[in-house]
Amino acid sequence: MEKSNRELSGKIALVTGGTKGIGKAIADKLASNGATVVVTARKPPEEESGHHFIAADLTDGNAITELTGKIIEKYGTLDILINNVGGTASPAGGFQMLSDDDWNRDIELNLLASIRLDKAMVPKMIEKNSGVVIHVSSLNGKIPLYQSNFSYGVMKSALNAYSKTLANEVAKNGVRVNAVSPGMVKTTAMETFLESYAQSINKTVSEASQQLMDSLGGVPMNRLAEPEEIANMVAFLVSDGASYITGANMLVDGGTFPAV
Amino acid sequence: MEKELIGKVALVTGGTKGIGRAIAERLSQAGAIVVVTARSRPIETQTKHHFIAADLTISSETDKVVNEVNEKFGSIDILVNNMGGSASPSGGFAALTDEHWENDLQLNLQSAVRIDRAILPQMVEKKSGVIIHISSITGTLPVYQSLGGYAVAKAALNNYSKSLSKEFSPKGIRVATVSPGMVQTDTMDAYVQSLADTSGLSIEQVTQNLMDSLGGIPLGRMALPEEIAELVVFLVSPRASYITGVNYIIDGGSNPSL
Repeated sequence: MEKSNRELSGKIALVTGGTKGIGKAIADKLASNGATVVVTARKPPEEESGHHFIAADLTDGNAITELTGKIIEKYGTLDILINNVGGTASPAGGFQMLSDDDWNRDIELNLLASIRLDKAMVPKMIEKNSGVVIHVSSLNGKIPLYQSNFSYGVMKSALNAYSKTLANEVAKNGVRVNAVSPGMVKTTAMETFLESYAQSINKTVSEASQQLMDSLGGVPMNRLAEPEEIANMVAFLVSDGASYITGANMLVDGGTFPAV
Repeated sequence: MEKELIGKVALVTGGTKGIGRAIAERLSQAGAIVVVTARSRPIETQTKHHFIAADLTISSETDKVVNEVNEKFGSIDILVNNMGGSASPSGGFAALTDEHWENDLQLNLQSAVRIDRAILPQMVEKKSGVIIHISSITGTLPVYQSLGGYAVAKAALNNYSKSLSKEFSPKGIRVATVSPGMVQTDTMDAYVQSLADTSGLSIEQVTQNLMDSLGGIPLGRMALPEEIAELVVFLVSPRASYITGVNYIIDGGSNPSL
């Protein structure tokens, strides 16, 4: 297919945390749909991806100013912003295990990084009366788990509320804002986690994976998502096909969320 | 347009007008063989889709439709339960009789239940298939002045669709709900016109009043039927292979809650 015929040709997209896992899958998908893709991460990717890489630690406000400057200087604009960066290094074990530092780190990475970057980029979108912002959230934002990911889940809930509020504000300016909430995804990080977890409980990887799915109340599709399956949703949402979708939070979870 | 549904047989109920027609059209563009049902044949026989006349509020008509599709095209891969609506009066709770409630439930809930029941066995046998239920934003955002029975039936449909997804997702069948906000169908245009005629207000003012009755639409306009169809085609395509049990709201931001 000619690049110019693809649905995102001519569009400039930024994917934060775009060198691994879901972020990499999103970057690849947007590029294959014709977009020019910029990815950020703290460290350069191990393999050349073909995307424009800019090193940035998004928990650092100055790094965001620098990143924004580089993008505007080189491309003059941004059409698609994928706030994908997130995660947690906080310990498992529930409420009492989490220090102020743990909370602060989770807030920075999962909420404030997006808010700061949106604040830098959305005004450019408002100026030209068009743009799409995606916040990659998590099923954890809707299904709290206290044993692990406690503060991460709380931050993703906050991100969901923030995303909806921003959507309400900028819809009149031609900017669409949506959240995507993946369930369990088979990223390299997840595979590494499953292997170490399996070892620690003296079970096979598939038993460990089953146990993890059970901890969410079971996954009706009975498997983890592939990163590409999340990327497909993001690629749909940023396309013109989703022109009436804003303020939504799209679950991609194989049916895991238990309620209507 | 990518032909991602080549070889697939799709059935769209209520597929001759409005959202249903847009869905049928878009499925066909994606390469699917499309069968549409409605009570009466469309006036413009532009429909290149296979048409079956059926009143799906009647049990025996459901089997007739499924048998005819199976005989002519083989088993059904994609079922879009699009038919629905309401002829109940506005005016709130007291204006609705038993008959209104029964009609709303037949049209918006039971017709889908019956056709799912008729088609699911062939999907289970193949361990594949996708079922979409077209619901409405009123299923999660009730408005009592009008559409009371309709909204309750759509809320029931949402619950039913989730339940069905829990039972059949382990068997390889994906089930999802799509809840449109206000859509600019021919029916909506006619409704807006009639409100304008009776109130003496302009079309624009009536439209704005309708949007305001939902608490406002951040995008500032109604959806086009084609915008709903895009989401449905995404959901039935292989691109949505991990999506089941969801209720996707497509409403320009109307729903005020998280």
